[in-house]
Amino acid sequence: MAASEGMYDVALKPKLLRSLLREYVPDERHPFSNPSELSYVVSTVKTHNLLSEWASQPVEQNVMDAWKSAVDSWVHRLLTLASSNLPDKRWAGICLLGLTCQECSSERFLSSYAVWLDKLLSLVQPPVVSNFVKAASCASLSDMFTRLSGFSNAKKDGSSQATRVIQPALKLLNEDSSAVVLVGIAHYSYVEAAIVSKIMSGKCCASVLKKLGYGLSLLPKSRGDEDSWSLMMDKILLYINSQLNDAFQGLEEEARSAQTMRALLPSGKEPPPPLSGLAASERTSDLSTRRPERLLGSRISTLMRCCCDMLTSSYPVMVPVPVCGLIALAGRVLMVDGSLSSSSYSFMTTLKQEFICSEIPLLQLYSLEILTAVVKALSSQLLPHAAGIVQLLNEYLRTCRFPDLKIKAYSIVKVLLMSMGIGIAIHISQDIVSNVFIDLELPVGEKDGKSSGVQTKSHAGLLSESSQRKRKHSIMARSSQEQPAHVHLEVENTHSLTPISVKIAALEALEALLTMGGSLRSESWRANVDHLLITVATNACKGGWSKEERNIFLSGDPTPTWADFQLTALRALLASLLSPGRGRPSHLALGLELFRRGMQETGTKLGEYCGHALLALEVLIHPRALPLLDLHSSVNDFKFLSHKSRDTVYPSVDRQIPKYQAGTLGKGPAEPESEDDDLNENWLGNDDESEIQVTERQQNAHYTTDPSLDELPSVKVATTDNVPEKNETTVSASGPNDKSMADADDNMSESPHFRNITNQRTGALESVELEPVKSDVISEVGRGSTSTSAQHELETKNDGFTTIVERISAMFESDNEVSNDSLPDIVDGDPDSD
Amino acid sequence: MEAEVVLASSPTDAGVSCWDLHTGAEHLRYKSCASSPHGLASVAGRFLASSQLRDRKSSSGSILYWSWNKPQVEVRSFPAEPIKALVSNSQGTYIAGGGVSGDIYFWEVATGKLLKKWHAHYRAVSCLVFNDDQSLLISGSEDGCVRVWSLFLIFDDARREEARHLFEYSFHEHSLRVTDVKTGYGGSNAIIVSASEDRTCKGKTCSEDDISLISSQHSIKSALYPSKAVTCLASSADGFLLVSGSEDGMIRVWDTRTRNITRIFRHTKGPVNNVLVIRQPQNLNPRTSANSPVSPLRRHGLTLPPPLEKFANSPDENAHAKVFIGPQTTSNHLLDSSYISVQTMEAQIKELQQQGSSAAAEVDIERLKSEQLRSVQMIQQWKKMYENLHQFCVTELLDGTHTESANGPNL
Repeated sequence: MAASEGMYDVALKPKLLRSLLREYVPDERHPFSNPSELSYVVSTVKTHNLLSEWASQPVEQNVMDAWKSAVDSWVHRLLTLASSNLPDKRWAGICLLGLTCQECSSERFLSSYAVWLDKLLSLVQPPVVSNFVKAASCASLSDMFTRLSGFSNAKKDGSSQATRVIQPALKLLNEDSSAVVLVGIAHYSYVEAAIVSKIMSGKCCASVLKKLGYGLSLLPKSRGDEDSWSLMMDKILLYINSQLNDAFQGLEEEARSAQTMRALLPSGKEPPPPLSGLAASERTSDLSTRRPERLLGSRISTLMRCCCDMLTSSYPVMVPVPVCGLIALAGRVLMVDGSLSSSSYSFMTTLKQEFICSEIPLLQLYSLEILTAVVKALSSQLLPHAAGIVQLLNEYLRTCRFPDLKIKAYSIVKVLLMSMGIGIAIHISQDIVSNVFIDLELPVGEKDGKSSGVQTKSHAGLLSESSQRKRKHSIMARSSQEQPAHVHLEVENTHSLTPISVKIAALEALEALLTMGGSLRSESWRANVDHLLITVATNACKGGWSKEERNIFLSGDPTPTWADFQLTALRALLASLLSPGRGRPSHLALGLELFRRGMQETGTKLGEYCGHALLALEVLIHPRALPLLDLHSSVNDFKFLSHKSRDTVYPSVDRQIPKYQAGTLGKGPAEPESEDDDLNENWLGNDDESEIQVTERQQNAHYTTDPSLDELPSVKVATTDNVPEKNETTVSASGPNDKSMADADDNMSESPHFRNITNQRTGALESVELEPVKSDVISEVGRGSTSTSAQHELETKNDGFTTIVERISAMFESDNEVSNDSLPDIVDGDPDSD
Repeated sequence: MEAEVVLASSPTDAGVSCWDLHTGAEHLRYKSCASSPHGLASVAGRFLASSQLRDRKSSSGSILYWSWNKPQVEVRSFPAEPIKALVSNSQGTYIAGGGVSGDIYFWEVATGKLLKKWHAHYRAVSCLVFNDDQSLLISGSEDGCVRVWSLFLIFDDARREEARHLFEYSFHEHSLRVTDVKTGYGGSNAIIVSASEDRTCKGKTCSEDDISLISSQHSIKSALYPSKAVTCLASSADGFLLVSGSEDGMIRVWDTRTRNITRIFRHTKGPVNNVLVIRQPQNLNPRTSANSPVSPLRRHGLTLPPPLEKFANSPDENAHAKVFIGPQTTSNHLLDSSYISVQTMEAQIKELQQQGSSAAAEVDIERLKSEQLRSVQMIQQWKKMYENLHQFCVTELLDGTHTESANGPNL
């Protein structure tokens, strides 16, 4: 076994462990010179699971015994190291003990963690001076508790043991010596007091504050009940509010504070006790008020972050979230713009105003964080409160100028749109669009008549943002191609006035809007937005894919933000193209071209996305409705979309209905026997090769007229007097005839109906157009009147044509019979009444 | 394939039957339910709710809850008026009920609070349905009208005042009462199909102002089905099985591909008026749920929410409304990254190697101190040794001279 398994052999493990012990782990006698050896030990132990004492297959007892004794001696060595006099050896022992807590077998852990705990505890207590040792012991202790929390039966014991940890840990905190905060299982009130006073003291650096805030947010978890959570939340919110009272005095209306207070605390309800540890901290912080505003900013933001953590981290039971209070508080901060209200000027020194203004962005950032957390935590339950948040964000987006804050606000808008769906999209679309337009700055009505001075100025703006090369390119482009580049240049120039990151956020919000509600009540803004997006995307991609791109990519200049912007612009463009509108997307050709060019950027995210976009757009280019039933498994014997299907003999009458519809995609069952099969074939072949924008009009014409005309599509449309008119109305999808046509289609089976709707939306109206047009032909032939341009062909091919007409009319009759038999409920008009 | 169950109820007091769609095994039968049409709803698979047909005498309505593993009614609520249609959103956050007066009631499930009530139709609301993203509520009424409501607008006081009407869209296509409304995927372009007693079935989308009609295929049903009228339909998640409830009390399962009946369940003698197909709830079967020990669902999910309230709260109370967020399901699996001692060690090693930080220096200092201590000890030892040696030598010398002198005469 040993021979066969090589490095996976279990017997190898105790040997490896022993050699590690011998060679690398320091011992009492020899000096410990190279600490990096420890990391080698750690990685070896972790890779080979040297401490696990567990094998996937049963192995001989003596191997296990050997392993066990090896681990025993490992642990023994660590413990002696940990009680060594030399700090470096002690430190090494502690670190490895932490590793052991993490790696060793459950039995060993459970049997001996108490001993290890004592050892580690003794190491964080006073006689030990080295901070290194203390920090390492805390880390190891933390790992021990983490492991312990995995054993449900030992949890109780663990928490009682943990209370012993609290005191030294608190001491450590107070000594300001360690960033490691032990929060796993904690003794409640003491810790609260300690953490709060720590936050208040304002002596900590940002990362420590972050951890402290997180620790505070985890505190209620140690009790795990509903009350402690909401008590903590209330305490924090009230404290924030009272701090804001001081800070915003004179900056906001007096009533605002009371208003927020009402939202936080129902009238008549006892306010909760203040955060413990506040009183103590007030005393100490008085001494160190160098910059009270700075202190205020850090305190409030830490507490706000703490709120977010409480909202987003998991909690064992259901907890009540004071939504209104949170929103009111966030609103209070967001609505302050730092300007003095005239009545209260006397309260405020200019100096104080300056200080507060420097802190406001930070506070607003965290208010937005709170809103984000609320939106995330509540998900579908947000509904009754969504209106308040939306209103707040709208007002804020209108006034806010800071890029970071704007990005945050946009991202909340985006999340709201995605989570609340169409219902919200139709109501807030106008606001979003107007805000986005400001940020994306589509120049309206100033394309011409700009003085050169303005242009150079905007070039300067461009310079500040993109590379020098870019500028050169723009100027070159401008000089080389005078007028055509003019418009684009201007667009590009004005773009650079807002940072790319904001524009990305704005585009993302727009994308979300188009995804959710692009077609609902969007008449007023849709065309503008579509135009905006194609312009933005064109401009974004113009720089990257012209001559310049090689320079950028070769020079290794990453320009990540620009690439991100391009990607976002393309994403939004795809949403704009795909989002169902009233007609064909007007910029489809331009968009396709962009995506096609983008796809050539192989190996990039952008290229990947463009491939996806082309795939998604394919159904727009070739609209079709697949049959509901799987053809291979069903009894139907016709092949959809296959050229051969034209010659299939249709066995029964009821099959004919779906087939007839199927035929509208390009091959009606009516014409297969006509003499112009070849032309027809040719034409179909042409259709495949021809441009995307071959419209269904041509297909339509293919039915109405003699196929010999197919080489001249433009003539075709004019073959009869009525046909062009029909085409117009059907393509626009809103004419008065539309309904009648739809009615005419009533006899069709259910699935084609849905397809009609789909087709109408995508602008492909084949099946709807079909019948009225046919009836035109029929009537014309019946009257013997022929239109001028088609006269010749009609005469020459009269025989074939009449057979077609006969077949068509025969089929209509049979259609009517069939449907009227099986569908007695039809109330709408029949197709020939047209 | 995920197990699905078929639920069926009837206007006669025959309870709610429950079968496995694919195996045909019958599960519990939930007792004392006389549901109104469209009055049976599974609230996010957590429990079963049904609005009840009541005697004409009683003015208030009745909505009952059953948990999956007990046949008895667990929670009874009594709304202000009889509720006909009942629907819950897919997350099970809200329950909407349509009353006989044409009002729509909107409750929060977790608290039972009546969040909103608004007058929607002139006559009773016969069916309610949420759209695919749960942001629109579509109601059909006995007055033949189908209306689409944006829940966002319903809760937005400012916008509601500006708006001309509360509904987003109102379709007056039917001349008689609307019997069913359905909608599917498609976001803002989803098609709403409504069936009516005027023997038409109409579809429309919201995105176009002039509603495009796709009408009139009432006959699939009658073409397919024998004997008695079909009252309700539902389809399985994969869309291949169609379940129909009929007035003869039978529930038939059809395969839409082959158009054959694959299974027949028998509910009661009375007519079936509700059929639901839902994913099998986790604790449907009492035996299996008893076997699984302390699943979180057992602790939290099985306690049914409080009954739905009769009247809405005052706006003042609403200002302090608290929203309950449930415990997120986090796996107990410990990730490696939650252990910190190794990371700490690595960081400290780095610090030691750079020898830059004060803490690293501290370690060095301490080591040096102990070395110094040892050196001092060593020095003292050496000193002592030297002294000993010195002493020894001196005594030796002295002794030597002494002995020498003593022995001198001998030499």
